[in-house]
Amino acid sequence: MAKNKIRDWLEVRIGLDELLKSQLTEYRVPKQINVFNALGSVALAGYLIQVISGIFLMIYYIPHSEHAFRSVQEIMTRVPYGWLFRQIHVVGSNLMITAVTLHMVTIFLMGNYKRPRELTWIGGGIMMVITFLFGLSGYLLPWTQLSYWATTVVTSLPTAFPFFGDFATRLLRGGDYVSGITLTRFFAVHVSVLPPLFMILMGVHIALIRRIGLSSTPFGKTDEEKRPLTEFRKKTHPEGHAYYPYLFQKQVLMVICYFLIMFSIITFAPTFFFPEEASVPADAFKTPENIRPEWYFLAPYQMLKLIPNKFLGISLQIILLFVFIFWPFLDVQKEKNIFKRPVLRGVFIFLMISWVILMWWGRR
Amino acid sequence: MGRSVIVLFAMLLSLPSLSSGSYQDEFAKGFLTKTWSGEQPEENFCIECHSSDKMKPEFLTIAEEWKASWHAQNNIACHNCHGGDPKDASMSMSPHRGFVGKPKPSEVPDFCGKCHIGILKNYYDSDHGKEFRASGKGPNCVTCHGSHNIQKANIDIISEHRCAKCHSYERAKTMKQALFLTEKKFDELEGGLRKLRKEGVYIDDDQKNLFNIQAEFRTLFHSVDVNLVRDRTNEFSSKLAVVENKINSTFGELRFRKNFSAFILLIFAAMATVLYLITKTPRD
Repeated sequence: MAKNKIRDWLEVRIGLDELLKSQLTEYRVPKQINVFNALGSVALAGYLIQVISGIFLMIYYIPHSEHAFRSVQEIMTRVPYGWLFRQIHVVGSNLMITAVTLHMVTIFLMGNYKRPRELTWIGGGIMMVITFLFGLSGYLLPWTQLSYWATTVVTSLPTAFPFFGDFATRLLRGGDYVSGITLTRFFAVHVSVLPPLFMILMGVHIALIRRIGLSSTPFGKTDEEKRPLTEFRKKTHPEGHAYYPYLFQKQVLMVICYFLIMFSIITFAPTFFFPEEASVPADAFKTPENIRPEWYFLAPYQMLKLIPNKFLGISLQIILLFVFIFWPFLDVQKEKNIFKRPVLRGVFIFLMISWVILMWWGRR
Repeated sequence: MGRSVIVLFAMLLSLPSLSSGSYQDEFAKGFLTKTWSGEQPEENFCIECHSSDKMKPEFLTIAEEWKASWHAQNNIACHNCHGGDPKDASMSMSPHRGFVGKPKPSEVPDFCGKCHIGILKNYYDSDHGKEFRASGKGPNCVTCHGSHNIQKANIDIISEHRCAKCHSYERAKTMKQALFLTEKKFDELEGGLRKLRKEGVYIDDDQKNLFNIQAEFRTLFHSVDVNLVRDRTNEFSSKLAVVENKINSTFGELRFRKNFSAFILLIFAAMATVLYLITKTPRD
């Protein structure tokens, strides 16, 4: 009874029935849709988990080089269940980066970046870069030996550029070396610059997906989208399934799997992201033996070490990043199915293998 | 045309980095040492001279010995004991900067006692200290602990080979027995703390606390008074029990965390199973 009253109240004010119908049941998704189509929503859930756990951490965290380490330790030991929120945030950041990367890779494999979804891809690419920046800026905040030196490594990368490289590094660090100023800068970027940017892009990204309609060619099973696209036409799937519950259930299931992985790590490998250097406060005078960045920066880091010229090394990476983000405009072939495109498939496999090798190599 | 301009531009930009040696050297120089390490480590001219070829051979081992010492591990450097200015080569051995150089044998206890105040007092009150004061000879700090290669104080320092040089080992042995249990507890607790650090727990405060208790305990037996040690062992036992309880409760907390997150894991596993079954149930 009470439920009906609330429903009626909302119906008068927001047209609830029509809203639910248009957004959930009448919104139809292709029949061939699979769990890979749910990876985007996993990344979204991952982001929301980071926001919520991050807000809890921010209540107790002190962004000052003299207090940061101590305040994080207080969160871990004295704040009730503070350890849980920190673990969720730390493990979550790594999982979110994994989810975003997998999402991009599967979208690439399905060829769903192609016309008319170029803008969706570019938005996603920029969001991926922002996710890495979230990782980079957040990593310094606990002010441990590990975070201090990893940040020193990463912020030194722009020095490879002649003329403005040193300036860029000084700008990032707020001086010649990583200091309390860097910490404040990174904190500001982490909690107040990146989130609104990310939210705007996320809004545009989701709006575009709804506006254009989901592609119906998971892994090139059908090629019905080969039709010429000379005018805007929303892709509806009258023959497909209702979004709710069909895709919605898949999305929820994938998000639960995300939580399963997260809590498996927290339960069985709680120190996986906390090596010993992570419980030692930052010390600018003591360089640890093995300085290396986080795992998601290992491949570019190793690549930079291998290429026999600093400037070329960094330029190549920036060019690769641009190629990646603007790929939809470079790939002019109409064929979406990667299984029918041996060259693209070869390049893709080569890139994946090199990435893994470089990451492994960079670990040493 | 456009392409060749880009290539030319890229080549021009890369000239500065091409011109100076191999990239590997440059990388090591530019990344590994300079810009990466932020503020440079402090220069220490004491170490520099005492490692150079010009130094007399008998002074050459000092730096190496110090590096291996407990002092070095606790950031106690040359100038903390000998004075002088390690950052300024010309003034490093100047009395104006407090340089006192090597102490005479009779000055050794006061030299070490600048920092180890409690121990100095106990030592002077002991038979060892009284003998040393009276004759200028007899066991002092370096007799048992060495001078530059000072190792972490350890119950094994009390040994027949050392003590029996001057007198029979009997009394020292009784002392060692009186110390044994408390010293063993210190080792145990240090092991526990190391284990906690591996589990990602910040232990510096507890370590400092334990260090202080240990230092206080050490002052006690420099009096070489077995009865005093026996009388006060209980006091130290209760202090150590507090540290032990804290270590144990931290281990307990870690167990609780594991169980708690395992519980949440199970809830998600159950949810996943139910949802999977729902999605697999045939519907219209």
